[in-house]
Amino acid sequence: MELAKNLQKTLNQKANPKTDLYVDLAESVTGIILVGFLWMHMLFVGTIYINNGVLFNSLSEGLDKYYLAQIGIPATVLVILIHIFMAGRRAPMRLRDLRIAWRLTKSLKHTDTWIWVGQVITALIIGIMASMHLWEIMTTWPIEATKSAHRVALDGIAFMGGFSIKYYLWFYVALLLAGEYHAGFGLYRIFVKWGWFERHKMGYVLKGITLIILFIGFGALYMFIRLAEMVPLGGALH
Amino acid sequence: MSRNITLSIFRYNPNIPGDTPRMQDYKLEEYSGMTLFVALNEIREKQDPTLMFDFVCRAAICGSCAMLINGRPGLACKTLTKNLPSRFTLMPLPVFKLIGDLSVDTGTWFRNLQVRTESWIHTNKKFDPNALEVRMSNETAEAIYEPERCIECGCCVATCITANIREDFIGATGINRVSRFLIDPRDERTDREYFEVVGNEDGAFGCVGLMACDDYCPMEVPLQKQLALVRRKMAAAGLKLDLKGMKIS
Repeated sequence: MELAKNLQKTLNQKANPKTDLYVDLAESVTGIILVGFLWMHMLFVGTIYINNGVLFNSLSEGLDKYYLAQIGIPATVLVILIHIFMAGRRAPMRLRDLRIAWRLTKSLKHTDTWIWVGQVITALIIGIMASMHLWEIMTTWPIEATKSAHRVALDGIAFMGGFSIKYYLWFYVALLLAGEYHAGFGLYRIFVKWGWFERHKMGYVLKGITLIILFIGFGALYMFIRLAEMVPLGGALH
Repeated sequence: MSRNITLSIFRYNPNIPGDTPRMQDYKLEEYSGMTLFVALNEIREKQDPTLMFDFVCRAAICGSCAMLINGRPGLACKTLTKNLPSRFTLMPLPVFKLIGDLSVDTGTWFRNLQVRTESWIHTNKKFDPNALEVRMSNETAEAIYEPERCIECGCCVATCITANIREDFIGATGINRVSRFLIDPRDERTDREYFEVVGNEDGAFGCVGLMACDDYCPMEVPLQKQLALVRRKMAAAGLKLDLKGMKIS
């Protein structure tokens, strides 16, 4: 056996030979949990389609009533943190590694490798934007349909000549795209590694699911804007 | 119909003091059925005898002529020039030690792999030359045959980002090799022994799943299937094994 070539490696192996297995499993398991969370989250948001947000509000109340929010949110944050450390160790971090990875990716013109570059980039985007999203939601708790609607419809500061952007809307568009990209292809990567399904067919299925979720998400943003026009902030839903 | 093609080839001989890496153009008239192997030989014969590249069998058996063809790994002998644009690049495979120009030393790397993965049948049975060969089911024989088709060209290693940035990673070819012994009933190694060999980041758990190996393998070895098989087997073994006091030497 040449695996333990030097002292450091020998000590690492001796500490617990199964660590590499646990770390690899943790990456896949946290990934699957987070994809499940995200898709569930989007389905919950999608309830805004039904009866002008009454169901949306009762689901939100349910989160508080059954302690799903109180336990669920810290638990999700913990899972995200574990996932960042477990999956992050795969990404090239040193300048030397980054250069090698970038040069090779450009040279190969290989779809799956490019998709992985996208996974790394969306991971960074999600890391920042999901934190902002969480902060926003937590500081305006509880979640209410009209509150969300007016947030999405909120106009930004008018620039020169009265030009303004709905920055919350664009924030959600960006976070939705990054999140669904990362979740869809991340799950694909997990299935590829463990080989439970034929990978090309699996790719089509996951792309299909991702498109459906994106459709729900964009549709929900549209519904929020419509709701904001119909009901004033704090107004009653019917 | 013939056309003129330009081969932009990486030139660098580390053995010549002061030599610098550069790309050099060679123009050639293409004819029907021309492989890259033929084109390179024509260049060496008629234009530049100093051009270094490897080949032995010219029939995709020996795995010597692997290189980056227009950025992607492939075998020169198995690549028809008509499938390439009129101007393309040739680079040596990364990861492996450069001998010069397009020639790399895959031998040392693969030799190290053989030793690390102990790529031989481990058995305590005494060989009896007079006895009949032990029977093997057709299914098992075919399952072993698939990973066994690997010709050790190194394309999967060169195309793998993990193998490029972590020199200890044994790559798809290494894990594929182990899978062959895992399936073989004649190999008497225990789960624990296999786990010692590939149950780590340098082996089965190091793969990120980019699948360039699977897509660009010139022999179309089902690498994804074999990598996943070893990962699942090692995970199952690791979860049920009691490795306390396990000696890793």
